[in-house]
Amino acid sequence: MPELLAFRAVDTYYGDLHVLKAVDYRIDQGEIVCLLGGNASGKSTTMKAIMGVVNPERGDILFEGKSLRGVSVAERVRRGIAPVLEARRLFPRMTVYENLEMGAYIHPRSADFDSDLGRVFTLFPRVKERLKQLAGTLSGGEQQMVAIGRALMARPKLLCMDEPSMGLSPLFVEQVFDIIQTINGQGTTIFMVEQNANMALSIAHRAYVLQTGQVVLSGPAAELRENEMIRQAYLGQMKVA
Amino acid sequence: MTTEALYLQQLINGLSLGAMYALLALGFTLVYGILELINFAHFNVFMVSSFVAMWALELLGLQGQNTVLTGFALVGALVFAFVVTMTVAGCLGVAIERLALRPMRAVRGTAAMITTIGVSYILFNTILLTAGADSKNVPNPMPDIRWAIGDATLRLREVLIWAISLALMVGLHLFVTRTRLGKAMRATAQDAEAARMMGIDVDRVIITAFFLGSALAGAAALIFGLYYNYTSFIIGYSAGLRAFTAAVLGGIGSVAGAMLGGVLIGLIEAFGGQIVSVRWTDVIIFSILVLVLVFVPTGLLGRSAPSKS
Amino acid sequence: MPNPDTSAQPSRNMMGASYAWLRRASPVQRIPHYWRQPLGLIATTAAALLFPIISGNDANIDSAANALAFAALALGLNIVVGFAGLLDLGYAAFFAIGAYTYGALASFQLEPAWSGFWEPFQWLDLVARVHEPSGDTVHFQVSFWLALPISAVTAALFGVLFGAPTLRLKGDYLAIVTLGFGEIVPIVARNWQGLTNGAMGLNGVAAPQLFGWSFGVRAWPYYYVGVALVALLILVSTRLKVSRIGRAWMAIREDEIAASAMGINLVRLKLLAFATGAAFAGATGTYFVAKLQTATPEMFMFPVSVMILVMIVFGGIGSVWGVVAGALILQILQSWFLEDLSQWLHALGRLVNVEWLQQVELSSWIEMIFGVILVAMMLYRRQGLIPATRAVQALSLAEQTAQLGVNTGTGGIERLHNLGDFTYRGDAPLLEVKGLTVRFGGLVALREIDLTVPARSIVAVIGPNGSGKSTLFNAVTGLVRQQSGIIRFAGEDIERAPPHAVLAHGMARTFQNIRLFPNLTVLENVLVGMHARLHTGAVGALLHLPRTQREEAAARERALEILAVFGNRLIPRVDHTVASLSYANRRRVEIARALASEPKLLLLDEPTAGMNPAETLELAGQIKSLHELGLSIVLIEHKLDVVVSLADNVVVLDHGEMIAEGPPDVVRRDEEVIRAYLGRSASLGGVAVA
Repeated sequence: MPELLAFRAVDTYYGDLHVLKAVDYRIDQGEIVCLLGGNASGKSTTMKAIMGVVNPERGDILFEGKSLRGVSVAERVRRGIAPVLEARRLFPRMTVYENLEMGAYIHPRSADFDSDLGRVFTLFPRVKERLKQLAGTLSGGEQQMVAIGRALMARPKLLCMDEPSMGLSPLFVEQVFDIIQTINGQGTTIFMVEQNANMALSIAHRAYVLQTGQVVLSGPAAELRENEMIRQAYLGQMKVA
Repeated sequence: MTTEALYLQQLINGLSLGAMYALLALGFTLVYGILELINFAHFNVFMVSSFVAMWALELLGLQGQNTVLTGFALVGALVFAFVVTMTVAGCLGVAIERLALRPMRAVRGTAAMITTIGVSYILFNTILLTAGADSKNVPNPMPDIRWAIGDATLRLREVLIWAISLALMVGLHLFVTRTRLGKAMRATAQDAEAARMMGIDVDRVIITAFFLGSALAGAAALIFGLYYNYTSFIIGYSAGLRAFTAAVLGGIGSVAGAMLGGVLIGLIEAFGGQIVSVRWTDVIIFSILVLVLVFVPTGLLGRSAPSKS
Repeated sequence: MPNPDTSAQPSRNMMGASYAWLRRASPVQRIPHYWRQPLGLIATTAAALLFPIISGNDANIDSAANALAFAALALGLNIVVGFAGLLDLGYAAFFAIGAYTYGALASFQLEPAWSGFWEPFQWLDLVARVHEPSGDTVHFQVSFWLALPISAVTAALFGVLFGAPTLRLKGDYLAIVTLGFGEIVPIVARNWQGLTNGAMGLNGVAAPQLFGWSFGVRAWPYYYVGVALVALLILVSTRLKVSRIGRAWMAIREDEIAASAMGINLVRLKLLAFATGAAFAGATGTYFVAKLQTATPEMFMFPVSVMILVMIVFGGIGSVWGVVAGALILQILQSWFLEDLSQWLHALGRLVNVEWLQQVELSSWIEMIFGVILVAMMLYRRQGLIPATRAVQALSLAEQTAQLGVNTGTGGIERLHNLGDFTYRGDAPLLEVKGLTVRFGGLVALREIDLTVPARSIVAVIGPNGSGKSTLFNAVTGLVRQQSGIIRFAGEDIERAPPHAVLAHGMARTFQNIRLFPNLTVLENVLVGMHARLHTGAVGALLHLPRTQREEAAARERALEILAVFGNRLIPRVDHTVASLSYANRRRVEIARALASEPKLLLLDEPTAGMNPAETLELAGQIKSLHELGLSIVLIEHKLDVVVSLADNVVVLDHGEMIAEGPPDVVRRDEEVIRAYLGRSASLGGVAVA
């Protein structure tokens, strides 16, 4: 599979704080890649660097082989990167329909708007029932559906998901992960930050482990699940047990 | 005049003032909604615009109160004056955003607000030093048509002011609820980072907010000139503070709140002057400002309390 | 990631970098640093004292005296805006209150009819009996020297009166309210003819007298009074700044929530700042009116407030010497330089025969110049002429590796004797939570939580992100009030207690996204943590009594000892602003700051987040050592190995509900925990749970 997104020795700073330290990632077309790591390990910064909210001090980020240096957020979305933000971040006082419209902001007056909408409705029949409702009044699970739907309206090649399971009930987490697999099956590459390591590794092809801003481990998800360090740190299994 | 007639008259006056304050308040609210910034420069964008309005009318050959227009000539003159004033005011707002405020966007705290005070001072003194300290006569091309309602009088200029203000506010409402850019503006106000991640050009949205807010201040300035027939370098401060009070009273950040607050402040000014005394009007209005902020910081239609630290 | 609130550093650092050339050795820097301060002080004092003798020009001395009044005002506003971070746009109102207080006490403005009531005051020489054909009246003739403190106190009272309801507003809203107040006062002055004589100005204000000798209209006595006033206010400002009070103000400026969680009573300290600033303005008002011998409402309008603000922005917000310099420079620019410059332009105009150049009056440009200065300073040099925060020198390699008798491991803590007493000796459970429910709007963040922390235990709270762990900390420490249920600490109900009171009870905390005071040094951060355990008040700080000095010295010593808990991680960096620290060091400073309050219970919110395994191990060891000293701990933690190695008891939250509780080994085998926390495949056997 050809490479879709790549980090080449990326360093980022937040003020004086060195956050990402010479980080390399490679995500191929059609993959589900998952990024594991504790809080404050640099996961969110990775997402911000992909979207261009944080810019690398050194190193380069490539999308479809082209550098993203100096490329605006809007242009990145236009090239095919769409985020599903942590904690969903819908526009609370706009209707579900308007939220979906905002997702398609980069395709003004697109003839495909209705078919994109149709795709979202097929994935999430509940969203169709709630179109006129203000997004802020939805339940957490419904909001996550709209958030994913909103991102899909941009017709992304790469979907960047920041903690899609956060704050969702276990039953719903399973649904969300099923849908992520479905979306991936339809051809969208997925890069996902997730603290629910077990769940994430069960659907991912590959994974990276981030620790204090450095990639300390990477490989096929199945292998990582057997890795002693991962089992201890993220899968809740102690040596003592 | 009977007391009822006096009150009716003050109602008419209050509504006219209120329409003007509402337009001006919208500028505060649009910018605050997106940047959480209290824009003191807005006070004097209004004042500068009143001079622009005067010059635009004079450009048409109108002088003082002598030239009266009717029919298409009147409509044309008014349209010309509104378009010129609103465009110039809007561009002034955009220039302020680009030159003075954009570099401050990443700075937390009150620095950006202090900058707007500086900008306001510069605008104020630019007019003072170029146009002088004396108040200027603003041409009024409107015929003196009056209708008697009981003992109160309703003049053509008041009806026109109401109509124009209403049209502008409806236009703004349609813009933010129906157009792509307007919706992007609301999205940015609700969650700027998420909006940016949708590919919305937040810089463009902010510029639009400044342009629209300042253009509405331009409209308010022209209305001020037509209503009072004068302008001066000092009008920005008191009108601006009243409009700001209106925005806070209605709930800053809320478009409908700005309109409601504007009308209420206009009525309070008219009736306060009538019932108490004109010299205490300012104290009444500032007391409302303080009391609303202390006890109902969300305002009448506001959604969330001001919480920026 | 750090919360953006806690650090706005990039711009400041870029600024620092572009002015790096300023720091190269100048002639001044060749003077040894311990000489610089006394030498500068002596030179400044000499210049101030000799100025009238050298100048000899009455007009110049008079403008200098005016400039001193503004320097005094700038010092007062600096307390409010610079130290405490409360933007006051109506500061001139307090100036007015001080001015009219003297106006009322020493002029012919108020002349009530004479009655027996006034006799004691006549005896004290505060009033005189004036015989008039229509009946005797009272003439107020309070001495200027007595009026100074009276007007300071009056203005301070108004500050408290006005501040009490408004100071809980934040940032720009406070600015607007103060602006409204600043507007109301001059309007009242204009309309209250009896007291102020309205726009006409006060009548017959008495000139100050010293031992029977009247100042009259000479400039130089006023000048020296002004010098004395400014010198006094500089002393007050600098003493307050380095005291417990000043640190609390700066903590509020940097982060209100953290300040309140560290035991600072926000309302009281803000009122104190407001009142102190107002008192400065009140005394200055009296000085200014005595000097002018009249006052009109126009002298106290919004432009005056803005002018004072420009002065402190120009000089350096928060910098005592900076704001004095800013005020003097701008006033002197206004009164001398613009006049001269106008003359030169007129001459130039005549020379080149340009009409408008001969007409230019630059003194009318002063507000324009103020506006330009304000915008330019904000855009290009926000820290002002003399910045308040010092540049941090990089740590040398030797300093970084220095050993200070305590190694970085766990073995050293027992050797520290001055850490404080962390042991709870009561009978009731240390912390007892019953039926705690927290709602945000319709969302239930915590439902019916029961939790008991016995004395000398470590309890770990685990659960997925968003399960309510931090909300539990916020509710227990009083930061979140939308709650029902019982929270008892050491047997006392604290569910209604504000955060600073919770800390005073003996419960301190850290924050998940680290809330330090970014522009304060490591040492200052820790000292703020001691706020509730120290006693120095504003008066003590001013008088600088031996008791105060002892307390301060002991506090610093103890702060260093607490920092030594982390070996040489922080000790070499005590004078660095925390904004320059690494992530792990920030976490350590936050723990040190919490320890400084001598807690019996420490709440740690993900203390090892952002640390690598070695650092995690080190910190776990240090937490264990603290526990052995008697400290009880509640710990939110994701790293299960840390939880297992430290905790006596584990509480598991999911969706705001407590789904399990028990010793780590038991909880880890709980089916529901595995399902909620460890994910589907674990329960389905995708990964075998041993």
